[in-house]
Amino acid sequence: MSMEVIQLGLLMDLPILAALLIAFVGKPKNAYKIALITSLITVLPMLGLLASFDWSHGDQYQFAWSLSWLPDLGLNLSIGVDSVAMLLIALSVLLGPIVVLASKRAIIENRKMYYAWLMVLQAAMVGVFASRDLLLFYIFFEFTLLPMFILIRVFGSTNRVAASMKFFLYTFTGSMMTLAGMVYVVYFVSTQTGVWTLDIATLTHHAGAMSLTEQTWVLAALLAGFAVKVPLFPFHTWLPLAHTEAPTAGSVILAGVLLKLGTYGIYRFAIPLAPNAFYEYAPAIAVLAIIGIIYAGLICWVQTDIKKLVAYSSVSHLGFCVLGLAALNVSGFSGSILYMLSHGLSTGGLFLMIGFMYERYHTRDMRQVAGLASKMPVWATFMVFFAMASVGLPGLNGFPSEVLCLISAFQSDAAWSAAGEPGAWGSTLGPWFAVFAGTGMVIAAMYLLYMVGKICFGPLVEPKDHGHHGDPIPKDLTAREITSLVPLTAGCLFFGLQPTILLDAIEKPVNATVNLVEHSVESMNASNEQTDFNIIAEGANP
Amino acid sequence: MIQLTPQLTTLLSTLTNPMVALSDPAAADPHAAATTAHAVGEVGHGPAWVLLIPFLPLLGFVLNAIYAAIGNKSKLPAWTTVGLLAVAFATTLSMFLSYDGSPYTVHAFDWIQVHFGDKSMIADFSFYVDKLTILWMLFVTGLATLIALYASEYMSNDIGTGYCRFFSAFGLFVFSMSCLVMGDNLLMLYLGWEGVGLCSYLLIGYFYKKPSAVAAAKKAFIVNRIGDLGLALGIYLTFVHFGTLEFAELFSNEKLMGYVADASVGNFSAIPGQAQWIALLLMIGAFGKSAQFPLYVWLPDAMEGPTPVSALIHAATMVTAGVYLIARMYPVFLVSEFALPTVAWIGTITAVLAATIGMAQFDIKRIMAYSTVSQLGYMFAGLGLLTTTGAAFHVLTHAFFKALLFLACGAVMHGFAGQLDLRKLSGVAWMKGWGIVGVTMLIGCMNLAGLPYITSGFYSKDMIIAEAFVTPGYSIIGWLLIVTAILTAYYTFRVYFRVFVGPQHAEPGNEHHDHDDHAHGEEHNHDAGQHGDHHSSGFHPHAPGWAVNVVLAVLAFASIAAISLAYIDKAEHHGWVGSMVHDSTAYFHSPYVEQAHHAAEGTAHAVDGPVGFKAPKAVFGMDAHTAMILITGIGGIFGVLVAAFFHGPKGWQGLFIGGRTEAAKCRMDAVARRFGPIPKMAENKWYVDEIYHAILVAPLRVFSHVLHWLDKLLVDGLVNLFGFLPRLFAWVIRPSQSGVLQGYAVNMAGGVVILLVVVIVVVLRAGGAA
Repeated sequence: MSMEVIQLGLLMDLPILAALLIAFVGKPKNAYKIALITSLITVLPMLGLLASFDWSHGDQYQFAWSLSWLPDLGLNLSIGVDSVAMLLIALSVLLGPIVVLASKRAIIENRKMYYAWLMVLQAAMVGVFASRDLLLFYIFFEFTLLPMFILIRVFGSTNRVAASMKFFLYTFTGSMMTLAGMVYVVYFVSTQTGVWTLDIATLTHHAGAMSLTEQTWVLAALLAGFAVKVPLFPFHTWLPLAHTEAPTAGSVILAGVLLKLGTYGIYRFAIPLAPNAFYEYAPAIAVLAIIGIIYAGLICWVQTDIKKLVAYSSVSHLGFCVLGLAALNVSGFSGSILYMLSHGLSTGGLFLMIGFMYERYHTRDMRQVAGLASKMPVWATFMVFFAMASVGLPGLNGFPSEVLCLISAFQSDAAWSAAGEPGAWGSTLGPWFAVFAGTGMVIAAMYLLYMVGKICFGPLVEPKDHGHHGDPIPKDLTAREITSLVPLTAGCLFFGLQPTILLDAIEKPVNATVNLVEHSVESMNASNEQTDFNIIAEGANP
Repeated sequence: MIQLTPQLTTLLSTLTNPMVALSDPAAADPHAAATTAHAVGEVGHGPAWVLLIPFLPLLGFVLNAIYAAIGNKSKLPAWTTVGLLAVAFATTLSMFLSYDGSPYTVHAFDWIQVHFGDKSMIADFSFYVDKLTILWMLFVTGLATLIALYASEYMSNDIGTGYCRFFSAFGLFVFSMSCLVMGDNLLMLYLGWEGVGLCSYLLIGYFYKKPSAVAAAKKAFIVNRIGDLGLALGIYLTFVHFGTLEFAELFSNEKLMGYVADASVGNFSAIPGQAQWIALLLMIGAFGKSAQFPLYVWLPDAMEGPTPVSALIHAATMVTAGVYLIARMYPVFLVSEFALPTVAWIGTITAVLAATIGMAQFDIKRIMAYSTVSQLGYMFAGLGLLTTTGAAFHVLTHAFFKALLFLACGAVMHGFAGQLDLRKLSGVAWMKGWGIVGVTMLIGCMNLAGLPYITSGFYSKDMIIAEAFVTPGYSIIGWLLIVTAILTAYYTFRVYFRVFVGPQHAEPGNEHHDHDDHAHGEEHNHDAGQHGDHHSSGFHPHAPGWAVNVVLAVLAFASIAAISLAYIDKAEHHGWVGSMVHDSTAYFHSPYVEQAHHAAEGTAHAVDGPVGFKAPKAVFGMDAHTAMILITGIGGIFGVLVAAFFHGPKGWQGLFIGGRTEAAKCRMDAVARRFGPIPKMAENKWYVDEIYHAILVAPLRVFSHVLHWLDKLLVDGLVNLFGFLPRLFAWVIRPSQSGVLQGYAVNMAGGVVILLVVVIVVVLRAGGAA
């Protein structure tokens, strides 16, 4: 076991240790400190990993380690990361201290329980991305549900019971179908290779041999879970509820990482395991994504609950992410992965801002609280910043990924671009996809400026009973709150100005995936032609 | 539009390839000829100090943000900004002086790059410098410096509250504008484009407690975003079609050059539809940013911002970005059959429409806003009429005199507590301390009215109008622009005769000197006592200080001095601006136009066109240029006289034909009554905002509410129904859940057996295969 593998393990073990410590040893008042220190310490091995990762071979699993568990069933505890997974792990780990910091004042009761589960969630998120084994992935994938369920159920706001139940049942039902699809792939590959294996790389290598019908069923099953998780229209209704009711930290993690499990799942499993089916149905998936972009965006525009507005905006934004994947080309995949990494920064930032406001005013209704710029200028400055990042202002995080996703959808059908360049940029979609998805840019400006115009600007409005409880909370943001925002702000700028570093890092795996899809589609087309030829030949020789 | 295009085709054919076309169009070798006209040669690397131009203003933004954070309460933000911008201007000057004629790029850092095999998509944080860039940057940095100096005084009531915020947004604006103009690829242009939009949003909404300012800011951003969508799609399509986003590569792209050659012989059917769509999409972006019909509605409302902002962003620089975009992408526009005619017509319609609204407004700042929209219409008409030189020259002169007009109006607004109603002010030029404002305002008004020979505005406007008459089929645009010029002279001098001359009278506005006062929170209540009530305690206008006067004087001088630009390089390039445009992508080879324009002085003879049509270059039997000087010159003076008659005061100040004796009443009132509801409709901007609201915003709002209900009832309802099914199923099979232990045991055993079978089968298969 190399040094790096230990570091990768630490990313999961440290939070688990902290959770145990908090739950069984520590006192409630220490829970916050333990969680904060642990999440900060965890950043160190993560940085070490980023430094020792070989980015020029980003498509290969690195820091790989495997422990045979049930060899007869092909079960291994194998971990390892490619560059996409590495970056997503970095994101998950970096969000840790931020959400812990932001929770200090929000969570006053049941602190032991809260921070323990938060730490478990941290570990589970790293586990999902570090898994190299299908079953292990699935276990972690499901295991993120439980802590999140508890965070919403116990620490959510008024409607938390319904929200947590819907969140759990909806996503769980979906992922059961994902499991079924995965099992079928494993079965199929075992018939192909004669080896019962759960190794993702092996499965990916052989799954393309499935017939189109088989692939279609597998795709449907996989998407059942992933589409709910993303969430893709029309499977999104759990999200606004869960987001709105969850505590701030829950919302941030949900937006930052958990939703990305859906798009990551599509990228890592749905596309490689059923490439031909995905190719066939990509336009349909893109249509759902675009409906989501417009539909959720317009719904945002008429919200009065600010948290619900941001929650629906996630549905709208993730539509771009899925659109990029559905385009099945280099710019689409790059844009989509960049979106997975960057979307959480601005949306997470917005959730933090709303959380800080909620702690002061105990309402999220923009009719009761408005015009806060005159009362909390620092808060308002950050709010405008994150809103602009979310609008997709160039120079901030949303822009590069949005551009890449839209460009990817634009290139396409040969009839239209007779003079265009096929190959690298060709996609399954077409200019109309980009035009309709592009309206999302305008709609995003409409609802986010509506939000900023209400909550930050205009005459100051404060709830009537505000301040009657002798609230000791200072007016504007505290140093602790600003500290939790600064990394997100820096991240937004970094993603906006230096996306090329990340694009370089994911270039290899993205190109590999594109090649895989192209290869499968070509070989299936070739075999179809072969079949056609045979039929013709048989017809000619009765 | 469509019937005009054959004429455009013919024109284009002569433009890009006149010699061959004139002799025998069929013999033309389009590729060879076109490349001489457009292709950008090898683009080298420029000196790194050019980076100071965008990054010094950015430093200003950062420093001011820091001042804001540490609570600076002095004029430091203003001096920082003025100093940095002045250095940026000096750097631009040296960029101009050291330019050796071939474009270059300067690389700051890698930005967005995607690679696949041997193909790549590259948009770096780099800057492209040619003479078009230099032209734009000269007046952007120059005016920004001057206006920052003006603002140091104008905004001084906000020291400690909004001063830092104002100047940091100011710095960010100049940075964004530099990226827009200097960006070496379309995504950099887009970055600047959206960046100036953000700063415009922040600065229009500067008085953020005022709901109308917030609404105006929001409107500006969203209407611009509609245009931005067009621009974005145009950029994507450029990449999809030409495979590059970088100007240097795009303008030496063989495919594009081939299209230009095809277009020059009118063979638009040989150009793929995709390539022709690019210009149409980019055009929408230009219409949004430069406030052209139907996306102009945001600009008049943008006057909610502080006046220096109106002068810099909403008159001189940002709103010319659309003109820059089209000029920069001119080869792409040339290959689109419908783009340039559309640009010409939209520009003309906007010019006329905005002028009619401007005539009926009473708020002097709004009058200036509508005149900006109208003058931008001229620039677009110029672009559509293939005179990028005329458009760019008008951009330049307009930048000077419109900034001047706004700043003079701002001085009035500042001095009279926010009063902008021309019925409530009179004789301002004669008040103590207002002389410089009065004189410079007069110079600005003369430029806008286009008084012949003595104003630069006259020369640039003339260049565009004359072009309409030498362009076959476009003389109707020429006439419309002439009528607009007369209307412009009228409404401009309406302001001057009402506000600046005549009997002295001033009713202060409802603002205190402190513009942030509208909605002061309780923390500023102590100020109210100090300021007192102007009406009761006697109002003293607050005459402008040195900074304001100096800036006004410099701008007035510049707008007169710009006349000389029309004479530099006149023979070769139509003036200095023409020589700047000549060395850029906005240039196209057009000896035909030049010949028609300046054929032997004063002689009028129709030249046989390449495919047999007669170019109507004679207007009233004169060379078009001479005719225009006469017609627009006389028209401008006529407009001024009409204004003097209806609005001028009695005596010499009203040129002896005015009859006004008090501020609020004039001869126009009676005339306006005769026109019934029309003046009222014009004052209400022809209800365009209301129409947009009724047919676009309100239905979309209702639709969104419907979606929200649907989401709750239908989409979520279905989910809940599925959630309910298991319970229904449970109810059906409830008898098995009898509560009898044996029953459960049997069920459990059954389940275990099934599970075991599955496991055994699986293991056997695996083992057997292994």
